[in-house]
Parts: sequence; structure tokens; C-alpha cells
Amino acid sequence: MGKLDGKVAVITGGATGIGRAAAKRFIDEGAFVFIFGRRQEALDAAVAALGPNARAVKGSVSDETDLDRLYAAVKAERRTLDIVFANAGAGSQIRLGKITAEHIDETFDTNVKGTIFTVQKALPLMREGGSIILTGSSAGTTGAPAMSAYSASKAAVRNLARTWAEDLKGSGIRVNVLSPGATATELAKEALGEEGQKVFAAMTPLQRMADPAEIAAVAAFLASSDSSFMTASEVAVDGGLAQL
Amino acid sequence: MKKLEGKIAVITGGSSGIGLATAKRFVEEGAHVVITGRREKELKEAAALIERNVTTVVGDVSRLEDLDRLYAVVKEKYGHIDILFANAGAGTIAPLAMATEAHFDQTFDVNVKGLFFTVQKALPLFKDGGSIILTSSVSNVLGLPGFSAYAASKAAVRNFARAWTMELKDRKIRVNCVSPGPIDTPALATTTGLTAEQAKQAAAQFASQIPMGRSGKPEEIAAAVTFLASDESSFITGVDLAVDGGMAQV
Repeated sequence: MGKLDGKVAVITGGATGIGRAAAKRFIDEGAFVFIFGRRQEALDAAVAALGPNARAVKGSVSDETDLDRLYAAVKAERRTLDIVFANAGAGSQIRLGKITAEHIDETFDTNVKGTIFTVQKALPLMREGGSIILTGSSAGTTGAPAMSAYSASKAAVRNLARTWAEDLKGSGIRVNVLSPGATATELAKEALGEEGQKVFAAMTPLQRMADPAEIAAVAAFLASSDSSFMTASEVAVDGGLAQL
Repeated sequence: MKKLEGKIAVITGGSSGIGLATAKRFVEEGAHVVITGRREKELKEAAALIERNVTTVVGDVSRLEDLDRLYAVVKEKYGHIDILFANAGAGTIAPLAMATEAHFDQTFDVNVKGLFFTVQKALPLFKDGGSIILTSSVSNVLGLPGFSAYAASKAAVRNFARAWTMELKDRKIRVNCVSPGPIDTPALATTTGLTAEQAKQAAAQFASQIPMGRSGKPEEIAAAVTFLASDESSFITGVDLAVDGGMAQV
């Protein structure tokens, strides 16, 4: 018996990395999962690996019509929704002095506007006992060179959970932020290279990067009734990086 | 597969409330628990409720010789510790203008000094890779009238987790706080100095300040502590996990 038996979940940014690891874990715990992502090829590969309790919908969280299609698909097949893991995110590094309007728009469209509409459009399908998990970041509480747009967008995400805990009062739906630190996703490993990974590991009190499965385990905790008295919280899963 | 199969856990303040609920949950997850508390009768009753895989040691965390006795029992019986839940706490309500030295000392003796030595004296028995969970409180970031000594003591606890994360990282021992909000436990009515009616009013007032609109149950804190004790939280260290229905979060 899994701790998410019979639950229906949506995971944005679900084809790879943390989202994909969470999809696997949620399914292992008994859930039926819709993953949402921009690349058909990655979605197809993920669904093939995840098995019969996974569905994929192609789209971008920054496009409202794509989100409408996502939730129409959920409604058509499962009618209701228990868990939303708003995990899709974007981030590139540009130092103050070189920041462009396009860079800001791209970062905030995905991380902030995309998160807002991912959740808002999910609400009509959600039931009492539902759980919303937003992917924040250790960058949301720390300063790092060239990360101004990304860090500010993740600080915004953290604060959305505060407001929504109040807006959702009485609904029986909880909302929390999961803030990973340095996580060894395929994308991160490629972007950082061997040297970059060593730097992040050395900065982290646990002296290593996270395996995506470790982030997924926390997402499963927040999705399940084990966190039934938690709302508006931020759970840092960062090996201590932003805690000291 | 249970989450804490075969683990040895020590829980202070284990005879009631959050400590007792956690001991029950740990045992359900496959652990053996050693619980400690000051009152022998309550401790025995707690052990009866937990039913199996439980050892009791009567003692007060603010007395170092009691801690030595606790760990001597653990050493003799199990030889090591995997999980420590440093949970014993005290807190009477006293406005600044009326607080006595005894009030201040009692609060800090149990919550700060007691917790400090609870952890220090566990270290020789601690297995590398284990998990330490400290009970802080939602009050560690709130200004609550009458709770100044308590809130300050719990802020100290939150900061212990930071320093100890660094001190114990080479042993791969994780250290985290859990910060409960108002919880339905006997403590509010029995240890704060409030009358039953006042405790009821305080509980109602707290509930109105909580986004979830209710106080928590000891079992809900136990679930979060179990998460921090288990490998499910293997990349979490140095954090303050608020389990407060949103009270201190918004």
C-alpha cells in the first residue's frame, strides 16, 4: 500500500530531472500522474519508462491555452485532481549590467506567471485534502552572482505559497514550497561539468549534490497526509546550503 | 518495507504529547525506542500504550547525571543510537514585568541546557549517518506576549541545528529542527500555569491565527519527525521544518 494510493497528480516540468523523479516516486506510491513539458520526445521517453499510470501533455506553463489543454485532459480521464507539483522552471545566468528585458520576461514568465496559472487553473478540479507543491530554490534566500532574475523569481514563488495558504483557507487544500539546492539532474550535470559539480558539492554542508530521487522523496512527503499540518511552509532540500 | 526498520531511537519528553505520538509512530515504522521523562507513572503508561520495542528511563534532561544514566541504559541494551529526538521542553507563561528568575532558569535549563547536553552525551553512541531532530517551536520567529523566555529558548534551539550541522557533517549525521505550532497536547493545560478555561481560550485564540483554522494533532508532528528521522529526508540538514498549519509562515 502506497501513501498516494488512488491520488491523481499533475507535475509540470515532469519529463526530466526532479519532475521526472517525482513522477516515478508518486506512481510507486500509488498515484496516477500527468506530466507536462515542452518537448514531445522527452515526454514520450518518460511515459514509456513510467508505465501505464502516466500520461503526458505537451505544452508550456507560460501559455495559458496549453494549461487549459492540460487540465482538460485531466478532467476527461480522471475528473478530479489531488496533487499539483508546479515544478517547471527556467533560469540562465546574467550579471547585473548585462540584464535584458527579454531575460527577465523569460525567467518570470515561466517561474512566476507560469506557476500562478498552473495553480489557478488546477483549482476547479481539486478536492479537499489536496496538496499543492511549488518548486522554489535555495537561490530564493541566498545571493549568487549573475542569478538576480532567477533568485528573485524563486523568492516570489516562496511568497506565493504564503498568500495562497490564506486564499485557500477553508478549502482543505494545502500549499507548500519545496526548495532544492544543488541537484544532480542530467541537465545540471551537463551545464555544470565535472568541475562545476565539485564546486557545488564543496559549498554544500553535506558535501555532495542531491540525487533527484531525494528531492522526489520530499515531494512525496508534502503530497501525502504525512504533512497534513503543513501549509505555507518552505522545505529546504539543499544539504544545508542555505540554512546556516 | 518500513521506514525505520531496526533503528534505535532515543526520545526525551517521551511520556506524553508529541514525544509519545512519535514513539508510537517510530515503533510502527520498525524502530526500537528508549523514552525518557520525569514522571515514572506517566512513562510507564506511555510504554503500555506503545506496547512493544520500548524501554523507559526516568530522568530530567536538565540534570546531567540523569542523562548519563539514560545513555548508560541505551549503551547496555543496544550499544548504539541511530535517531535522537531531543523533544523535552518546558514553558510557563510569564509577562516580562512579572517573570521571576526561577521562571527564566527553568525554561532555559530544560529547553537550552538540557537539549544541549542531551545531544552532546548521545554523540559517543551515535552511529555515523544518523539523524538528530530537535523540537523547536513556531514561537522561535514569533512575538507572543508572555512567551518571551520560551520563544528565546526555542530560537536558541533552532540555531543549535545550524552549528551542529557543520560540526557533525563529517560523521554524516543530519541535524534538523521541527517547529510545531499549537498542538492539542496535555502540556498547554498542565504545564503552562493556565487554568483549564484559560487553556481552552488560548487554544481557540491560536486556532484563529492559523491559516488551516485549527490546531494540530500530536500524530501530525510525529509524521513529520518520522520523515526527518528516515532516509526520506536524506538531503535535508540544518533546516527548521515548520509544522504549524501556516501560523508563522504567512
